[in-house]
Order: sequence, then structure tokens, then C-alpha cells
Amino acid sequence: MSSVTSFFKQPLVVALILIVALLYLGQSLSPGFASADQILRLLIVASLLGIVAAGQNVVILGGREGIDLSVGGVVSLSAIIAGNVMNGADGGILPAVLACLAAGAFFGLLNGLGVTLLRIPPLVMTLGMLGVLQGLLVVIRQGIPSGRAAPGLSAFVTQPLALGIPGIIWLWIVIGLFMAFMLNRTVFGHRIYAIGSNEHAAYMAGVPVRLMRIGLFMISGMFAAIAGLCLLGYSGSSFANVGEQYMLSSIIAVVFGGTSLAGGKGGYTGTMAGALLLVILQGILTTVNIDESGRQMVFGATLLLLMLFYGRGRAMRA
Amino acid sequence: MSKLRLNGVSKAYGATLALRRGDLEIAAGEVHVLMGSNGSGKSTLCKIIAGSVRPDGGQILINDKRVTISGPQAARAAGIGIFYQELSLASHRSVEENICLSALPVKAGLFIDRAAMKARAARYIALFSEVSGEGFHAEALVGNLRADQRQLVEIMKALASEAPILIFDEPTSALDRAQVDRFFEILRDLKGQGRGIIFISHRMDEITAIGDRVTIIRDGETIETLKLSETDPATVIRLMVGGASDMPAARSSAPAVVETGAQTAISVRSLSGKGFRDVSFEVAKGEILGLGGLHGQGQSALLRAIFGASTVSSGEVTIGGERYDAKSPRDAIRRGCAYVSGDRGRDGVISGRPIIENVTPIHYLRDRLMLARPSSLKNKAMPALEAMHTKFASLFHPINSLSGGNQQKVIIARWLIDRPDVLLLDDPTKGIDLQAKADLFALIRQLAAEGLGILLYSSEDAELLGNANRILVFNGGSVTRELTGDDRTRYNLYQAAYEAA
Amino acid sequence: MTSTATDISSPRSGGLRSWLERYPFLPALVILIVLLALNGLFSPNSLSYRSLTGLLSTYMALIMLAIAQTYVVSAGDIDLSAGATLSLVNVAIVVLMERWGGGAGAVLLALALGVLIGLACGLVNGLVVAALRLQAIVATFATSIFFTGLALYVMPVAGTPAPALFWRTYGGRLLGLPFVFYVLAALAVLLYFLSRTRIITELLAVGDDQQAAYQTGLPVVAVRIKGYLLCGLFSALAAFCLTGDTASGDPLVGGKMTLYSVAAVVLGGSALAGGWTTVVGSLLGALTIGLVNSLVFFMGTPSEWQNFVQGLAILIVLMAGVLAGRRARA
Repeated sequence: MSSVTSFFKQPLVVALILIVALLYLGQSLSPGFASADQILRLLIVASLLGIVAAGQNVVILGGREGIDLSVGGVVSLSAIIAGNVMNGADGGILPAVLACLAAGAFFGLLNGLGVTLLRIPPLVMTLGMLGVLQGLLVVIRQGIPSGRAAPGLSAFVTQPLALGIPGIIWLWIVIGLFMAFMLNRTVFGHRIYAIGSNEHAAYMAGVPVRLMRIGLFMISGMFAAIAGLCLLGYSGSSFANVGEQYMLSSIIAVVFGGTSLAGGKGGYTGTMAGALLLVILQGILTTVNIDESGRQMVFGATLLLLMLFYGRGRAMRA
Repeated sequence: MSKLRLNGVSKAYGATLALRRGDLEIAAGEVHVLMGSNGSGKSTLCKIIAGSVRPDGGQILINDKRVTISGPQAARAAGIGIFYQELSLASHRSVEENICLSALPVKAGLFIDRAAMKARAARYIALFSEVSGEGFHAEALVGNLRADQRQLVEIMKALASEAPILIFDEPTSALDRAQVDRFFEILRDLKGQGRGIIFISHRMDEITAIGDRVTIIRDGETIETLKLSETDPATVIRLMVGGASDMPAARSSAPAVVETGAQTAISVRSLSGKGFRDVSFEVAKGEILGLGGLHGQGQSALLRAIFGASTVSSGEVTIGGERYDAKSPRDAIRRGCAYVSGDRGRDGVISGRPIIENVTPIHYLRDRLMLARPSSLKNKAMPALEAMHTKFASLFHPINSLSGGNQQKVIIARWLIDRPDVLLLDDPTKGIDLQAKADLFALIRQLAAEGLGILLYSSEDAELLGNANRILVFNGGSVTRELTGDDRTRYNLYQAAYEAA
Repeated sequence: MTSTATDISSPRSGGLRSWLERYPFLPALVILIVLLALNGLFSPNSLSYRSLTGLLSTYMALIMLAIAQTYVVSAGDIDLSAGATLSLVNVAIVVLMERWGGGAGAVLLALALGVLIGLACGLVNGLVVAALRLQAIVATFATSIFFTGLALYVMPVAGTPAPALFWRTYGGRLLGLPFVFYVLAALAVLLYFLSRTRIITELLAVGDDQQAAYQTGLPVVAVRIKGYLLCGLFSALAAFCLTGDTASGDPLVGGKMTLYSVAAVVLGGSALAGGWTTVVGSLLGALTIGLVNSLVFFMGTPSEWQNFVQGLAILIVLMAGVLAGRRARA
């Protein structure tokens, strides 16, 4: 295979090409779709997804069928916590951030303990945790109001911060840089890949496998919590199960980024492109005037089509 | 007329050329040995014949007629049966199900004909009835069996194909002497029936016992085919290694005694744990202590327990004068232990990742690093890799691009960046070629000279006899005898291996 | 003869081991009995003949769906579109039965078509996962979105009723016994026969070690597709039971059931990674989920806490199922 072809087959490149193509398609279907304003709006939504996807990415990279189905619940819970701690006051932002991080870390810790100590498959553990979180949300909603975002937070998410770009997008960029650095230039990052590729070999090389895996789930919880906080800033107040859609979307974004669900392979830059791709796709489907059934069918079919480009399994006969 | 003929078969994996030009000719009624170092292409050649790898070029002829083998099913239909080195068994299925799996007998097109399946499997199980050992029966789940028993099942499975052409890729690696003898009897029977048998092994004594002809492959190319009766091991080895090299260094004898007055590197007193019982010994700095005996008698178990990868129930270990209690490999590494495993796929290789990430993990731990700077890591990694003459294109290529032997060298190199105090070698040369073995033992002797205490378990007598200053022989989890000085002979090794504890 | 130090397992654990090997659903059965007892403790009425029949009637659909999932999991795959397939078949048969008059002939014809739709969905999944080699979790999620879209196309708004003939039969009695008992009996017979087929052994071998199965000469792709076909078939059967119970069509009814079906498989002790599954366990697992939900209700939990306690209880039971299943397999 020539180096040109292999360059174009990289997930990141494919994603970028598709993004441009979809923007073009969107613009032709609905003029104004690719306007600067709209693109910024898409980027904000993509940032929210991208932040959740960062945590998901790390859990998946760690291997052992790592996946976090509870992120949606953490996002919703975090939005409520943030709203109540802040209660519309700028002074409440810092405590809200800390409270959200603590909540995310807590549920991540529970997930991590279930997966490492009791060796429950991550799919099952995080699924159960999701059920618990959703139940908890019902309880909380009865008791307390949904709270309000502080104006500072809303501005951070929706208003331009520098160079006309809202703060949240900058946050996403910073996270992207941080992830690239962490995964490639730190021992911690290398260890994530090690436990994802061959956990036993990593164990024999002295990598603290269990601690790391718990850490990965805590990181996922914390990223989801931050996303929930920002989501509050985006919508002003939290409403029922606002985080639900993030679960499978974050997984798809990671897959589109070229990370294998088996672990040990991939990176975050691709996931960022994947998140953007997904958000644009959903955006197009919303603007186009077809009913719900058509929208779902097109979305499902398009996802399948896109998956043909990303991480198809190895053929049995090489 | 030849049963099977390969002309110019080739296979490349991306940029790596696994097989450049594979030629092979198998006659009816012969055991044809295939020899070559790891990475030479012989496994690839066999997998191409068996259908699980697609060749890039070349021809395959069966009974002088050209055939295309499109997959394992097609290979079966063409009359080829294979024993896979890594085994192709379903561990949650029973022995008899595994034996008949490729062609489960059916009733009414849907239901398994259990009676027919039992009868069929029983024929092949009976062939090994006296040597299969405790716990082996038709309904046993393969996952519950010992390693040698699992290998027997794979052999039975290959035999059950009743194929005129049979391929055995390292079929005896876990078998004991009695099992090997029985297996060879069966092979001789099959020879008499006119079948063509391809046999791959690293063990010279087995090859000379059962082989008729030998084909040597080196660097992806068939070099020569010889009649075993007309040649000798030295010639064969020379052809495998290529160039004007003499016998590998493993044959030279190691000194019987290490200079007196040397400090103790590691001392073990009445140690018991999973798989071994009441073991005591001391290894001085600069000494190589060999662990001998039949496979699976506690040698590996002991090493893994010392390294913290397995449980210790009682006893005491002292390293450098201080009480040593490793609950995990992490602890052991911190205390200066290094452990090299023979099962690199399970214990060593972080596949898919670059070579440099496979060399650095221990260094990260020993130096308590947090950042990974490529330039400084490179400076540490290169000397270690070069000490083993490791062949690679770039530190940043994935480790899978290397041959098996070179991969093992990378894994060994990871322990060399920071000097350990105690080196635990658990059959480190399993599955690597002769040249690599020679390099490794030269390195080990050098490390001993520099003052390390070394424990060496090897499944090959020659390696133990050639390198160990003393040998502890294991049987049934305990040490039966210690061989020192002139007692270190192959005869004594075997005798002690069969002695009761 | 001295026992060797290399002897690992003690005789006692060996006995329990072989029990678990022969009856792998034992842990799930134990959990179920415990829950029945607890239910009876809080509300003796809940153990009455009528209550139990009601429970069976309501959860029959989940039982079928859990069995569907089990066959796919045997081969090491997963089907996150099982619930969507169920929804699709549900709305399809309701619409067809209504269109064709609601008589016996219409019902039978609709059921036949329902089976075909289920198989078709299974075929799509099988092709996408096994033939095109897309990763099962995301691929079946994508197909679930597609099937849901189809279901919405067939019935944009929930509510079309099923013909009386249909749900009266399902909820009624036949020769003195509730109809669902016959369904359960027929299911048991079907499962028994399936367990003796070659395809099941092949599915398990593929799930055990796909590469090894391929090298053995098994047609791995075809086997996995058949696994998805079985899943589609049982999803359709699940839809029939659901329609009998709810007496109406709803394009989104199966949404939550997919994850519950996975939970039931895990509860029952099967290995999600494949190679070792127990359909009886999944059946018991599905009933367990039903019992957990009713237990939480009968315990007198305040209504706003019910969801939380249910979620917590299911998590605990899931853990128990995983641990017990591992014991059995280890």
C-alpha cells in the first residue's frame, strides 16, 4: 500500500474529510448551515460531547472491555448539583466545580472498584450504575429545585472569550492538548496503553493495574461531571435526564476517532474529530425537514456507513 | 509422485517479508522435518498450507496437481490436517467435542449425533490411554486439563482429520518422555500407511529420532533439503544459522564453583507455595543456579512466587541480607528482582505498541519517572538492545513488526536498563532461534561476572549443563537433588528428575 | 503414593465445581428462590397463583429477549438492537392484524410475517457484524436506531390496539391452565431441542476462541450470522408475548428492554465474552429482574425512591450473578 493511500486511511484524516463534506452538504441543504455563527454553535455542542468522550476514550483505551455506560447519568446529576450549588451566583462557580468533580470522581470510584475488585465486566457494572444514577435523579428532582446557572458560567459557555471563540471551545482545545501530552509523553499514558494491550504483561512489568483502572473510571466520571456543569451553562437550568444521549454518542465519537473498543490502540485527537463529525451529522438531520422515522433511519444507516471506514475488525485469513 | 509440493510460496505482512521463497516437497510415507530459526518463515509456510494465511505468490501442488487453498475448510477438503503450535482448542468444550469439532456428526441435519461423536473421539483417545495422565477423559473440559494433556488433545484432533498430509508444528513442547515416545510410535504407523508428515521441532534429539528428511529455512527462503541419515546435527545447525559460525556457545561448560567469599544475592529458606514445597537454597553474587527436572515440577512456580506473581504460603526469602516479601511484581521489581518469562505472548509483549514502549516499563518504575522524554529514553534503551544484538528498523515501529526471537530480545532488554540484583529466568529461550540463544547466554554469563545472582530454569538440558554452576533438580514440587561440580551430567539430571522427593 | 505439591484443587471444591458444570444455572436459581421468599415475606399475596401467573405473563417477553441475547453472546457478540427488533415486530403485527380484520387467519399470518421480520433484522445484524466486521456494540446500536426508525414509520404514534382474539388468548386459559404456562412449556421444549443442535456447539466454540474455531475449519462468519438469526427469531417471539400482554403497539416499547436483556444474561451466569452460556440461567435472570422490581414495590418503598432502590437492587443482583457465574466457570 502506498504511503499516500495509507495516509488517507487514517481515521483522523477520514474524519476531517467527512466533516468538510458534511458541512458542504449541510450548507447546500439548508443555506446558513455553515455560517460562522452556526459553526460556533456546532463547536459548542461538540465541545460538550468531546469532554465526555475524553473520559470515555481513556476508559476504552485501558482495555479489558472497558466502557462507561454511566456517563449520561453523571452528566445529568452533575448539572443538578452544579445548579444548586451555584444558584445563579458567580461566587458559586468554584464550589460548584469542586462539588461536580467530587461527584464524578465518587461514581467513577464505585465503577472502578466494581470492575477491579469484584471483576465485574465494565459493561455490566456501569450499566447497573446508570440504573442507580437514574433512580437517584428521580429522588433528587422530587426534593430540590433544578437550580440555576451563574451568569459567569453561561457566558463562559455561550459568549466569546477570546478571538471570538467561546470559553468552552478553548477548554476543549486545552483538554485536547492535555490528552495528547498525557497519552504520549507521560508514564501514566504509556501505562494506559500497556494495560489496554496486554494487561498481564503490564502487571508483570510492575504496572499498578488495578489502581490505574480505578483511576481511569474516576477520570471518566470527572470529565462527565465537567461536561454536566458546562451543559448547565449552555441551557441555563437542568432538565430531565439531559445527559442521556451522551452515553452512546461518546462511544461512537471514540470509535470514529479510530480507537479500538478492544483497547490499547488509538488516541484523543481522532475522538475530537469524531465528536465534531457526529454533531454535524445530527445537526444536518435536525435542519432537514423529514419526520422522526426518516431521521432515525438515515442516522442509523449513516452511522453504519461511516463505521465501514473506522476500525473494522481484522479478516480471519490475513 | 510427491504428496505435497510447494514452489516459490511467498508472504509479506505489510513491509515485513515473512516468506520470500518457500519450496517444499513431501513424499508419501515420510516424516519431513522443517527447521529454521524463529522468523525464518516456517510457521508461515505451514499456516499457508493449512489455509489460515493467504499466500502472496507461489504454487501448491497436491499429488502433483495444482490446488488453491482458500481457507481452513478447503485445506481439510484437500486432505490436510494440522496441529497448531498455539493450539486451536475451545477451552469450555469437552475433549471429545474438540476432537470432532471440525466435522461434528449430525442426525437429521440439525442435531449432534452424540453416540457417533463419542465413538469417533474414543478411537483417538484410546491411542494415548496409557500416557494421558490423571483427570483426562472424554467429557473433561479442555480448560481444566494440564498443558501436556491439552497438547495431546490437539494431537488427537489432528489425527482425527485422517488426512493424508499432516502438519505438526512443535507438537511435543509440553509433553513428557513417555508421551513423546507413544506419539512417535503413532507417527511411524502413519508413515507406514503412506501419509506425508511435516514435523517442526527445536529439539535435535527428537528430530534425529523420528525424521527422515529435513528442510532448512533461513530468512524466509528454503536453503536445502537433506536426508537425516546422511547428515549430522552440526551441519544442520550450520545451515540454519548461516555463515561460518561454529557450534553455539551453549555447549561450553560453566565453571563448577564461583569464587569463594562472594556475598549472597538471594537466600531462600523452606519456601512453600502454589506448586512447590519446602525449597531452600542460596545463590551467591555472580553465581548461576540452574533449576532442572521435567517440565512443570515447580521450577516455574517457584520463580513466579519469588517474583510476587504467585502465592507463597510459608518460608522466608532474603535478598541482600534483608527480609524480602514481594506481594506483587511491582514490589519485586522495586526490591531489585527481574523476571524473564518464556511465554512472552502472555507475560512480556505489549503488542501493538512501539518497541520503545516495550523496553521502558521497568525503567519507569525503577526510576520513578512520570514524564516520558523520547530522547533520554532512547539513550537508555539503545545500549540494552544492542547488548543482545537486537535487529530492528526503528525504536518507534510496533513490536509486532519483529520476529519472535527479536521480540524476546526486546523483552529481555527491558530488564537490563537498570541493573537488577537478582535475575529470574523462566525458560527464557523458549521459541527463539539458536543465534539469539547464544547471544542471550553470553549476556547472562557476563551479567553473572558483574555480580548478579541468577536463577535459571530451562527446559533444555544442554542450556542448564552449559551455564549453571549448580543445578537443583525438581520433581513433584520439591528439590530431589543438587548437582554440583562433576555431578552435572545429563545422566544425573535425568535420574534425579525421576526420583521421588 | 504421596500427593504432589502441584495438586491445586481440593476434593470438596471439586464436587461443587462439577455440580455447577452440569447445572450452570444453579446460582441464578438460588437468587430467584431468595427473591421469591423475600417477596412472600413482604406480601404473601404476591406468591399467589394469580400473582405468579401475572408475573410470568408480564415478563415472558423479557425472558424471550434474554434468551435471544444469550445465543448471540454465546459466540462472543452482543445485540443492542434486540429491543428495537422487538418494537418493530410489535408494531408490524399489530398493524397487520388490524388491517386484515383481526380474525384467526389474520393473526396467524401476521405472526408468520413477524417471525420473518425478526429473522430479517437478525440477518442485517449478522451481516453487519460478522461479514462486514464492524464492532458489535456500536454496529448493533446503529441498527437499533435504524429499526426504531422503521418502527416509527410503521406506527408513528403508539396506541393502535391489538385484536381482542390475540390478547384474550394470551391472557386467557386453555384446558384449565393459563395460556402462558403452555408458552413456557413450549419454550422449554424448544430450548431443549436447540441445546442439542450442532449450531449451538459451534456458536460456543466460536465464542470460546474465534481464531481457534476458524483454524479448526468452522465457518465462523456463517456461525455468527446464525447466532444473530436466532436472536432475531426470539426477539420476534418476545414481541408476540409483549403484544399479548400490552394489547397494543408502541414503536418505542423495547428501548429499555435491551439493556435489561443483557442484565438478565449476566444475572443468569453466562459469560459475556462468549463460550460459556446458559439459556436457563438467562430465563431465571429475566424472572429475577421482574421479582426485584416487584419486591421493591411490595417492600413499601416510597414511590420516588423506587427507581433508585430498583437500580441498586439490580446492581447488587448483577454482582451476585457475575461472581457466581465466574465460580461456575473458573
